[in-house]
Amino acid sequence: MSILTINNLKVHYPIRGGLFRRKIDVVRAVDGLSLELQRGETYGLVGESGSGKSTTGRSIIGLEEITEGEITFEGQNLSELRYRDRKEYYKDIQMVFQDPYSSLNPKKRVKDLIAEPIRNFENRSKEEELKRVQELLEIVGLSPEVTYKYPHEFSGGQKQRLGVARALALNPKLIIADEPVSALDVSVQAQVLNFMKKIQKDLNLTFIFISHDLGVVRHMCDRIGIMYNGRFVEEGTAEDVYENPQHIYTKRLVAAIPDIDPENRKEQAAFRRQVKEEYKETEHNYFDENGSVFDLKPVTDTHYVALP
Amino acid sequence: MEGSQQAETLAEKVDMEKSPPGWKILLTEILRDKIALISLILVVSIMAFVYGVSLFLSQDEIVTVDLFAIHEAPSSDFWLGTDYGGRDIFGQLIIGTRNSLTVGIAVTAISGFIGITLGVIAGYFGGTIDNILMRVVDFFFVLPNLLIIIVFIVIVPQYTIFSFVLIMSIFAWMGIARIVRSKALKERELDYIKASRTLGSSHTKIIFKELIPNLSSIIIVTMTLNLAANIGIESGLSFLGFGFPESTPSLGTLISYATNPTTLEQRWWIWVPASILILVLMLCINNVGQALRRATDAKQRRG
Repeated sequence: MSILTINNLKVHYPIRGGLFRRKIDVVRAVDGLSLELQRGETYGLVGESGSGKSTTGRSIIGLEEITEGEITFEGQNLSELRYRDRKEYYKDIQMVFQDPYSSLNPKKRVKDLIAEPIRNFENRSKEEELKRVQELLEIVGLSPEVTYKYPHEFSGGQKQRLGVARALALNPKLIIADEPVSALDVSVQAQVLNFMKKIQKDLNLTFIFISHDLGVVRHMCDRIGIMYNGRFVEEGTAEDVYENPQHIYTKRLVAAIPDIDPENRKEQAAFRRQVKEEYKETEHNYFDENGSVFDLKPVTDTHYVALP
Repeated sequence: MEGSQQAETLAEKVDMEKSPPGWKILLTEILRDKIALISLILVVSIMAFVYGVSLFLSQDEIVTVDLFAIHEAPSSDFWLGTDYGGRDIFGQLIIGTRNSLTVGIAVTAISGFIGITLGVIAGYFGGTIDNILMRVVDFFFVLPNLLIIIVFIVIVPQYTIFSFVLIMSIFAWMGIARIVRSKALKERELDYIKASRTLGSSHTKIIFKELIPNLSSIIIVTMTLNLAANIGIESGLSFLGFGFPESTPSLGTLISYATNPTTLEQRWWIWVPASILILVLMLCINNVGQALRRATDAKQRRG
């Protein structure tokens, strides 16, 4: 059974203006997105800035108002629930934020940061709570000595680990990672990513991995959805998308992945030129007259492409 | 059992590595800044002295007119001489400073409470609530507050310290509300507030445990600087004759004796001590406030 189903999700922001600040238009941040997620898999949401991938993640966890559509988590439609009832479900969905510098309260010690969800949902004594916090610190590879430190005493990678530890505190089933490594330098990126893979295996977690770094996504994800203007242009397994891209937008993205092997330099350049030519000639075939993306059509069992 | 004991010893061990909390940073900053340190010591000792000594003085006794001791120069009987009613200036100075300080502190506390509450609510919830509250603030800002206070004082026959504090507080909370709101608006956009939401914390919990601790520095600074301003406003009103009556001495009433040219030229002991005291108090409180302001901004810190 799928753990999370998104059906025709739309998130629109009103643009107000004119007399009495009437609603004159809307920004279609997410415009008709459907998605199914199996337990234990990692799903990559990829796209350029402003393509709606973060908005999708935030609306799953309830930080954005949904304009239309349904989000079903373990058979329960989340958008139907009121905030109080939703809380129980949000216990099972957690989020790792993009910016480790602003996502941790600078005035709180590590112990209070990580214990916050525990205090909200579980009744534990002080000792049990401390034990759990130190357990979590150990899972993310930090020593228990940091329990009473402040976030500013950590490096970016360590802070992101604290963010992960906090997200793990309630044993969630689904973790939404919103560009968890984009604020970190490359050596630390690998550290955090490998660590996330490890805990996924250990704790049987489901990840939604939001990123615009195609190399990272390939390393992490089983399935990938490519977004453009709030819609999917292509969806499939990592192999489908990287080895056999069908949509011109995906092709351009894949062509843009840098390859540092000098042996392939010429081939790479030729491939890029070829994709560029193709884009110039066939771009209009892939988008409708308003410039928006078509509905997804199956190419194989796992591979869906937005073609007319 | 063993596990919890282990955790306890562990906690004890790591306890020693606690990093400096916020108030310690404030303290080091003040200790580094010699002028602020002297100011703080001065303010605290003046307050301690005034509140301590006034316990042994009776206001009624001091403000009683003594026709045999009019306009006496400082002597061993009257340390700072007497005024035109034969009232001891030293006693009036102590009681007056106490009254002025009490008014200043009370006004700062009450207006601070109103301002912080409304500012945090407006900033945290934003949108329509923010809009409504800020229009209320605008409304209070356009009222001619000095005029209204004066009218109030003229209309109410027997006003006390309490009613004076209330009427001043009504016109003193807008500034802090605006400052707190603007900072809260900025903080609320940061991810840690949103993270708290996803971790299941309620609005009240987020406001008290996440938002207000991060506003605390700006609140402390604004309140300190407001304190100096409020003491000034009280003295100013009393000087103009719209503050306390002569039966309730304050720094302002003492200084207002200087409006009489003879007193100004020949009887310095009546108004000079009060003027110096108010100057010293305002300067010192401002110095401490500036040091606190620097401490809250890491870029300006000297420590």
